[in-house]
This record gives sequence, C-alpha cells and structure tokens, in this order.
Amino acid sequence: MSWETVIGLETHVQLSTKTKLFSRASTAFGASPNTNVNLIDCGLPGVLPSVNKEAFYKAIRFGMAVGAQINQTSIFDRKNYFYADLPKGYQITQMDLPIVIGGSIEIIIDELTKTINITRAHLEEDAGKSIHDEFEGFSAIDLNRAGTPLLEIVSEPEISNAKEAVAYMKAMHQLVTFLDVSDGNMAQGSLRCDANVSIRKKGDKELGTRTEIKNINSFKFIEKAINFEIKRQIKILENGEKVVQETRLYDSSKDETRPMRSKEFANDYRYFPEPDLLPVIISDEEIQKIRDEFPELPKEKEIRYQQEYGLTAYDAQIIASSKSMADFFETALQKTKNYTLLSNWLIGEISAYLNKQQIEINESKLSADKVAMLINRIDDQTISGKIGKSIFEEMCTNGSSPDEIIKSKGLEQISDDGAIEEIILTVINENPTQVEAYLAGKDKLFGFFVGQVMKLTEGKANPKAVNSILKDKLK
Amino acid sequence: MDQETVRTICYLARLEIDENKSEKIQKDLETIIDLIGSLQTIDTSDVEPLYSPLEMTALMHEDIEKSDNKKEKFLENAAASNEDYFLVPRVVE
Amino acid sequence: MSIQFKSIADLREMLDDKSISASELIQESLELAKKYKELNCFVTMNEEFSVKKANAIDVNKKTSSRLSGIPLAQKDLFCTEGLRTTCSSKILSNFIPPYTATAVKKLEDAGSITIGKTNMDEFAMGSSNETSFFGNVHNPWKKGYVPGGSSGGSAAAVAAGIVPAATGTDTGGSIRQPAAHCGITGLKPTYGRISRWGMIAFASSLDQAGPLARTAEDCAILLNTMSGHDAKDTTSLNSNVPDFLENINQPIDGLKIGLIKEFNLSDLDSQVQARFEESKKAYEKLGAQFIEVSLPNISASVPTYYSIAPAECSSNLSRFDGVRFGHRAESTDDLNDLYIKSRSEGFGDEVKRRILIGTYALSAGYYDAYYKKAQQVRRLIKNDFDNAFQSVDALMTPTSPNTAFKFGSKGTQNPVELYLEDLFTISSNLAGLPAISIPHGQVNSLPVGLQLIGNFLREDQLLNAAHIFQKNSDYHLAKPNLGDF
Repeated sequence: MSWETVIGLETHVQLSTKTKLFSRASTAFGASPNTNVNLIDCGLPGVLPSVNKEAFYKAIRFGMAVGAQINQTSIFDRKNYFYADLPKGYQITQMDLPIVIGGSIEIIIDELTKTINITRAHLEEDAGKSIHDEFEGFSAIDLNRAGTPLLEIVSEPEISNAKEAVAYMKAMHQLVTFLDVSDGNMAQGSLRCDANVSIRKKGDKELGTRTEIKNINSFKFIEKAINFEIKRQIKILENGEKVVQETRLYDSSKDETRPMRSKEFANDYRYFPEPDLLPVIISDEEIQKIRDEFPELPKEKEIRYQQEYGLTAYDAQIIASSKSMADFFETALQKTKNYTLLSNWLIGEISAYLNKQQIEINESKLSADKVAMLINRIDDQTISGKIGKSIFEEMCTNGSSPDEIIKSKGLEQISDDGAIEEIILTVINENPTQVEAYLAGKDKLFGFFVGQVMKLTEGKANPKAVNSILKDKLK
Repeated sequence: MDQETVRTICYLARLEIDENKSEKIQKDLETIIDLIGSLQTIDTSDVEPLYSPLEMTALMHEDIEKSDNKKEKFLENAAASNEDYFLVPRVVE
Repeated sequence: MSIQFKSIADLREMLDDKSISASELIQESLELAKKYKELNCFVTMNEEFSVKKANAIDVNKKTSSRLSGIPLAQKDLFCTEGLRTTCSSKILSNFIPPYTATAVKKLEDAGSITIGKTNMDEFAMGSSNETSFFGNVHNPWKKGYVPGGSSGGSAAAVAAGIVPAATGTDTGGSIRQPAAHCGITGLKPTYGRISRWGMIAFASSLDQAGPLARTAEDCAILLNTMSGHDAKDTTSLNSNVPDFLENINQPIDGLKIGLIKEFNLSDLDSQVQARFEESKKAYEKLGAQFIEVSLPNISASVPTYYSIAPAECSSNLSRFDGVRFGHRAESTDDLNDLYIKSRSEGFGDEVKRRILIGTYALSAGYYDAYYKKAQQVRRLIKNDFDNAFQSVDALMTPTSPNTAFKFGSKGTQNPVELYLEDLFTISSNLAGLPAISIPHGQVNSLPVGLQLIGNFLREDQLLNAAHIFQKNSDYHLAKPNLGDF
C-alpha cells in the first residue's frame, strides 16, 4: 500500500526582547538560577501582569513579513493547567484573537518552490525549566525562563515529509533572524517546534490520527524524529492497528520517539479572557512606524550587495542567506574597501572553518573588525595571502588581532625590491646546476626558484615581486 | 451533574473531596448550577460579553529591564528548596 | 482621654494639639486590640513595627500628612512585606510576602501605622466571615453574631473602636455588607480607582479595595490616599483623582436619587423597610428628589455573579499549589499528589466549592452556557445602570436585606441562601460602579445599612451625600456595648 505523510508544525520562536512578556525581568540567557525572576514571574499572590510593547512590535513585524493579517485589537487568554514550572497554574496566551492571522512561507525543495501557509501566530509566555536529574528524588524548578515572550507560529498541515519540515524550519530561522525578531539560537531553545505527524492512504481526503512530537530543537532532530515517527506509524497501520493520538518526546540518544508520561491525562484547558489584562490595541501610527522601520530581508540584501559592492550573484546570495554572515559582512566593510577580497574570504576560508566547526560566525572567535584588518593587510601587501591563512588560523583559536600576530611573529611581507633581489641572487649562486638547466629550456624549474626564495624568507616575500625580479635575473 | 462530572472537575482543579462530604458537595454544586442556569432565560443574542467593567485598552510597558528579584525570599517561602531552586517530587517525563 | 471610637479627624486634632503622642495613640490602639481579642478581628498583629514607627513619628514631629501616626488595620489579603499575609486560609498560613500592596504602601507612606492584619472570609469568599481558617469574628454589637463578610475583621475592628479605619476589599459586597452589619461606613470605589497590585485576587474583574471607617469624611481621607493610577496594575484607572474632601460639604439640594423598581422592598423585614423609609424622608428633607427607575436585568445579578466570580477564582487560585509558597502536604507520591493533597488540605469548603463551580463553568462544553452567557448578561446589567444614570445622580437601596445573623444559622444547608444576601450589593461590582454603605439605625439592636450607588468615578457625589446625611443625623455615632467581650 502507498502511504502519504501530513505534517503541521507549531514553531515556538523566543522573541529577542530585553524583558519578559509580562514583567520587566531580564530575559538574558544563562543567568544564575531564579535570578531573572520578578515578583510577577514567581506567580506570587497579588501580582499583576503588564504587557511588553516590544514583543507586540516584533510579532507584528513577523506578521508583515509573511503577508499576514495583523489584528490591531488583540486579547490575551488564560490557558489553565498545573505543572511545576508553570508558576500561576495558567499560561497567558492568545486564543480567540491572535496578533497574526494567515500568511505564508516559501521553502525550496530540489530547486522547486513550495508555499506553506500559516494558520496563525500568537504571543504567549514561556514556562520555567524543570531539572530532573540533578537532585536525588527531586525535580528542581528554575523560573528564569518563565514569562519569556514566545511567538507560536502554527502552520497548516501542508508539509509532506521530514525534508520539507527541515526546509520550513530553516526558512523560519532565516526569517526571524533577519527580522531581528529572535536570535534564532536553537541550542538555547530560541527556536523549537512541535511536529504534528499523521499518515493516510494516498488519495484519502481525511487526515489520519496524529501524534504530536514535542519540543524538537535542532534541524537534525526534526528530520530524525519525523522520519522515525513516519516509519512507526506506517508499521502500525500496515499491521492493521490504529495510531493512538498522543504527545511524544524525541529521544536523540536512542533516535526514537516515545509517549510522554507527564501528559498522559487528557486536559481541558478552560481558556477564558485574561481579566488582569485589558485588550491591546495597536494604532495605525504604530503599524506605519513598524512598516517604515522594516529590516532588510535576504533578497533585498542580495541585490544591494551586487549593486553597491560589486559582489557576484553567487557570493551575494550566500552571504545574504545568513543573518549572522550578512551582519558580519556589513560590519566588516565599514573597515575595509576591498569588498571582493572580503567576500572571497567569507565564502572560502571562513565558511570552510565554520562548517568544520558546525558553528555560526557569531558563535566563533572572529570579529568583523579583525577580519577586515586581515583583509587590509593582504590588500596593502603587508602580508601574502598564504601568510594570511596562517594568521587566520590563529585568529580562530584565540581571537587575537592580525596586526599583533604579524608584529609578534615578524610576518610582514618583504616587498622591498632590493631585499628580494639580494635573496634571489643568493638562490641563483647556490644552485648553479638548476640555473643551467633552466636556461637550457627547463621552464618548469622556475617554481623551484620561487620555492627557494620563499623558504629563505619563511614565505614572507611578496610573490609578485619575486616573480618579476626572478624572471629578470634568470634571463 | 453526575458523580463522574464531579470527579472530572475535581481532578481538573486538583482537589479531592472527603468521601463523607461528597454527596453534600454534589448537591451544593447542583443547587449553584441551577442558580446560574437561570440565566438561560435571558435573551443575549447579539450582546457582546463584558469581560471588564473598564472598556479601555491596556497600557504597555517599555522593553527596559527593572528587576525586583528577591531570590532568597522567594525560596524561603517554599516548603522545599535549596540555595538555588524550588524542589518538587521528581517528575518523570 | 480614650481614643476608642474616635474618627481620623478627631485623632488628627488630638495629635496636632499634642493632647496625645503618636506612640501613646498606637499603644492604646494595640491595647484595645488585646482587650477585645475575643472578637477575633485580627489574624496577625504588627506590634513591634507599629511602636517603632510611632516613636519615629514623635521624634520627627513632622505631621504634614493627615494620616501621620494614625493607626489602621489592613484586611489580610493585602500583601505586606515581611508581615504574614494569610487570606485567612490554611494554605497561606505561613506566607511572608516579599512586597507590599500599592494601596497599603500609599497609606503607610502617608504616615499611617498598620497595627495588624484583619480576619476575613477565606480568600474573601463569604458574607459572614465564617469561612476563615482562623475562626469566626464576632459582631461587636452582639456576641455570637456574624460581622458580615468578607471584610468582617476590618468592620469589627472599626466598629469596636480599636482603629478609626481599616482597609477592605469588595468583590460582591465585601466592604459594604460588613460595614452595614457592624454599623459603620464602607466605600467600594469605582473598579480601577485603587490599584489591585498586592491584593490577593479572588475575582480579578470584580475585586476593588476600599476604606471602612466611622464616617464618610474618614472614608474620603483614606480614598484620597489610596487612589490613583499604578503602572503595576494596568487595569487601574489613568484618570485624575479629585480631592474627595473638597466638595463633601456641599448642600445636596436637588440631588436626584433613583429607587430601583425591580427591588421589591415590601418583601423585606418590615423594620428594615421602616428604616429605609425614614432615611428616604431624611434625604427628602435635605433636598433630594426620589425617582423610580427600572433596571430590568438587575435581578439576574446574583446568578451572573456566581458564574463569573467562581470562574475567575478557579483560575486565580491555581497558583496555590504548594510549590513556591504556602502549605505543602507531607509525604506525597508525586507532583500531582502534591497538588491535590496540598490544595485539599489548604482550602476550606466554601473556597473548594467555588473553585469547583468555576472549573465547571469554564470547562469544555459549558463555557458558552455559563461563563460567556454571564458576561453577556453583565453587559445588559451595565447598560441598565447607564440608562438609569441618564436620569438620576445615585441609586439608593438597603445594603443588605437582613441584619447580622447568628453563627451557623445561614447557608449551611444551602449555600445559595447566603448568596442571596448579596442581592443589593453585587450589581455595582458587575458594572464597576462606586457604592457606599452608611449606618441608618438599628433593627432589634443590630445596625442596618443604607446603600448609595454612584455613577462611574462619582465617589465624590456619594461621599458628599453620605456626609451630609451624617452631619444631620447621629446613626453613625452609635456605639456597640462591648461589655460581653
């Protein structure tokens, strides 16, 4: 039998505001436990929420970018359930009047574009964190994350396989980072998703029973979790059994999904309008302001990079596809004029290094200023490209500045013709046999002489100068 | 309101009722539900619900940090805590 | 000269002409609290801090504020930093708030001294103060009788003359009804007039703090200080706060008072009715005119309220889960067991009843029929008020259909019996309107209250009408005989 997979994704994007959705506590990652917790976040008796304006603006920016309808009047609701890291016994979210309705995102699969429609996106607060393994017999509760603003983006069930799901999440990552809506840091949970997966017979109109895989936080796991789940469900169906609607967890160490025990009780969330918050109204002026200050998106950057900096279409596309790379490029070109060399380095050496390390450029030790300095030193011939590469390696490991490395190691390129000529004469004098052979027509030996010069100068001789003087002397 | 419904709402509210009081409570709840149910006779078609007596809109806060964290005092009020965390019986996910 | 039964205005004069020091005043107030311990007005005393603050005031000698050195009592649902706050519940019996409620902070910043936290119905759910974990409060007028609720401890402490005034909160009549039963004056301001920050929520869209005092004038003094926008409560009103004392003495000639047609007063106890007729005449003599107005949906107030308030309460009280504060049951198997046991041990029967009703009203399949329906009827009720206020300045009703009753005599068989006690008070909470209860005589030696409901933000009119009444009568000066305590 032939089966068809239907996937809908609920993406949780942590908005990059300085403060929480309903309090003015910091949202900084990595603070000591329970310190980014205001009275409100602790859910103490008598406290009241107030709404973070910036979170609304970011949500609206996202809505505009995906061509959605923006609800200028939006209402918060309470979703009631008990959990240890949910301090109030309810989550403040948006049920009936979400800030964003509709819109779509384009993904590219095998060079074909597919549109995934978005059902809605709403603002809600994150829960705290439970730590289950650190204390014997106890789970420990850290409320630092409680109240962090999330934008939950719900897609239509229009995703057909794991590959598309990954493409969707990558497109989402690109979008939210370029919009400066989120830092997109998946390792820190800034972008994660729940995947609703179901299987049906090819051609069936009705959806099969779905399971929900909770909280997947890397592109790799999205693919693996969904593929595991597809296989599992098909196996069940082929055995003539029925899929149970349930919430599952992806265990990356075992590469499997399994039912979540803590969610085994069917819940009734008893949504109702949050009486502690009046409706939020965003004015036309505010909408216009958000529109006016709209950040540049990858496609626009691509064109601008070609027009303003003369990058090739290919280079421009690569640099503009990642927010951190584009930011890096734009910061670096404040400090160097050799845009071509800069883009060559970004796409060549630097990308190779980042791929090897599997990190983003903003997670590396490289700074735009220092890379620009390196480009300038190559450009002004203080060092050769080859020396540049060795300096770059050092910059990657300890983040030091190219000028310091050049100075401390004496790596400055020898461009003084007199000095180079002296060395060339030494090489000629020391290798009479080779000189003879060369003059007799063995042209290939030219490289040998260059090599000798470079060896004596520890690679610091300006290759151009070496070439021309050597040619002159070997006439 | 049957016993099963009472059990379900008790669970949702994380409350348990003394066995010897359960009949009385079920009866009380029925009486109250009857009272509330009397609203059904009022025609409310096309009436917008009034969720707050203030028909105004929310004032929002600027995205500027202001901490009133009192970690020690927060943790002191908890029945079980250590120097960093609130503690609850271990949850198995 | 004893300070017992003195108003804030009296005590201010005594402090200003140095016939008493702040320390002496506080000392005496604390002693009265001890003397009438049997009334059970207080859950927690704040003796040490009070004495210190009074001494500091005496040393500083700066008495620019009307409230400087004045002893007050706070209902035990206002969070007070470092001072236990229980909501008269077992579940909060060990809770020490790390912050102070805005309303209390404003009063304290103005120099008043919180001598203690007053007993109340558990989480403000009740009209008789009989649901308190810390026991019943006696009505100072008659031992073994309820003081009303939920602000019963505050009302009794003022009625017994221990403090000149106290704070209360009013969700369905919890300031006005105990004020009526205890023979004092109590004001529920417009919803949003006073910040709810630090007030432990019962029903967020109905709760409002307010003063209980011996006179309308004292209520105005407290209201002046407690009111105002608070950035921490985005449902607090961002409008100007007038000086409520400024026009309090104006003649009320021509004041139009509405009588609600749908409240059939002839059903009431004949003596309660008689007091009402007398007060009506008194107001007529002062120049007021009475007009009958119709509020067709007002009889639906009680069922509307008992759908909305429990629904909001069921959610508001979810945070009492034994995890971060409050009572936690011992030896629990797992997290769920911890929730169930802690909450079941920590909450009393009435609170549980309301949580269950609210949970039911919000649950899938019932939300539209109960919660949403009630909020729709709520709008109809508000519209009725809006219409009425087109033709009148205020509405007048008895505060309560009855006088204080004996402990345990109402609502034990059928909780709804007690809910009907709120008939006259509940509608102003639903519509967010201000309302005041003033004493206007007695029935069988127990006080009865007269209620005036005002238009949105018109506390000034209510206080003016109440003050003029009190200037021309002496009901508010009647004192209970405390010989039994």
